[in-house]
Amino acid sequence: MSEKPTIEAYKKNIQEENFKAYKCTNCGAVINPPSGSCYNCGGNVMEWATVSGKGTLISFTIITIAPEEFQKEAPYYIGIVELEEGTRVTARLKGFDVENPAGVELNIPVLLDYEHGESGNTYLAFRPE
Amino acid sequence: MEPCPRNRGAGNLPLDKTNVVSGAMTKFGKLEDVTLREMFAEAVDKATLGAGIPKKDIQAAFIGTFIPEMFIHQGHTAPLLLDFAGLKGISGTRHEAACASGATALRAGIMAIESGLYDTVLVAGAEKMTSVSTLLATEALAAAADDEFEASIGLTFPGVFGIATVAHMRKYCTTEEDMARVAVKAHKNASTNPLAQFQKEITLEKAMKPIYVAWPLKLFDCSPISDGAAAIVLTSNEKAKEYTDLPVKIIGTGQASDSMNLSGRSELTSFQSSVAASKQAYKMAGLEPKDMDFAVVHDCFTIAEIIASEDIGFFKPGEGVKAVNEGITALDGDKPINPMGGLKAVGHPVGATGVKQAYVVYKELLGEAGPNQVVNHDVGLMHNFGGTGATCVVNIMRRADA
Repeated sequence: MSEKPTIEAYKKNIQEENFKAYKCTNCGAVINPPSGSCYNCGGNVMEWATVSGKGTLISFTIITIAPEEFQKEAPYYIGIVELEEGTRVTARLKGFDVENPAGVELNIPVLLDYEHGESGNTYLAFRPE
Repeated sequence: MEPCPRNRGAGNLPLDKTNVVSGAMTKFGKLEDVTLREMFAEAVDKATLGAGIPKKDIQAAFIGTFIPEMFIHQGHTAPLLLDFAGLKGISGTRHEAACASGATALRAGIMAIESGLYDTVLVAGAEKMTSVSTLLATEALAAAADDEFEASIGLTFPGVFGIATVAHMRKYCTTEEDMARVAVKAHKNASTNPLAQFQKEITLEKAMKPIYVAWPLKLFDCSPISDGAAAIVLTSNEKAKEYTDLPVKIIGTGQASDSMNLSGRSELTSFQSSVAASKQAYKMAGLEPKDMDFAVVHDCFTIAEIIASEDIGFFKPGEGVKAVNEGITALDGDKPINPMGGLKAVGHPVGATGVKQAYVVYKELLGEAGPNQVVNHDVGLMHNFGGTGATCVVNIMRRADA
């Protein structure tokens, strides 16, 4: 955990289903996605942070018209989740009915998970707790 | 120290030198057989020769284009466009800030005049988008979002605004029908604008057609893919007299940025860059939202117009919808918004949009907007934002005799 975090390693961690956020060594704020400076104190030295995976759904959409790379996966949910560590994550949502987005409540608890897309990528995802 | 009576601007920087003396736009839409340089030259010719301004008077040019590299495989557009338009030799710089490219070019022009470096400059914007397939155009537009962390999981541009919409709906009870009314208004205003991409009114029923792009945004919530160009000429106070008896003054300007990532924002029902940029512009002009007669805002999606009308302080957060439903933002309302039809119905050639907005405010202020003329037209505001709102520019303009 002492190594300096890099964006390449951050993305590799997600592919390996081992998500880690950044953490400011100065004030301890957990930061995601990777940033070169801390939103809280301006510190610029980061380390890795493991997270509990517990979060709250802030908002979402369903992508129906998708870019070519993702067309086979559409329609799919993308949401903004606030982790209990305080930082927010843009991720796929799984386990929600694409036919009934109006029925999806905000501020519900969600859990960190991963989704294997037909594009061959593994996405960071959240599912209902 | 005596308080400044007009409270103009941080760093004591009142804008008191910049005049808009002419403006023009091409038709917006799918312009078959018209290349980027040809539409640029058309707008420039109208704004210079068409207004009695010799091209030799133009000392520098500030040009907004978003991503011609992907649309027409062309970088380094400023000298290319200037050469074709008969302005070879002068200083020319391209400005890129996604959908706010045009307004950032305009800000550079304002700074050039205010500093005294030049006394006559061209500000222009252009984009040729229909040269590629819709799929490729979508991909090009996606480059205005954070590719590494958001586009890479399949988030699209409409998706970003879909997320903002859901947040706004759940917080303020905004409905899909409310947003459809913004589209109906845009098409109504554009129906009498001969340069608009769409010149036909639409019914509420049509706007509500459930063709989802990114739930809850539907086809008629989205601005189209367009070609087009716009140009204006800015001068110093002295120089303005040579070209017109009635210039329009730019009296306040603001610009701010925000995280590209939506996850980097604590608020999704408002764009902080819009709030910050408009505050700067109001402070510089010594004016408040209540002093504005009308606004031209960045309605890339219907929800964006509603949020912008709140962010620029015309309405309280959550009350933008009420204003649409009560007709306050209609052409004949108390606070008209996008009187010519906005991006939604006039079209959105990305690099041209910010300059086109300044042109619309200019025409309205002069009282030359024909069937699209707003009743009160002394002071107007333009709001142009880039991408997901990561850049926002707000300018306040006033007719010189007002």
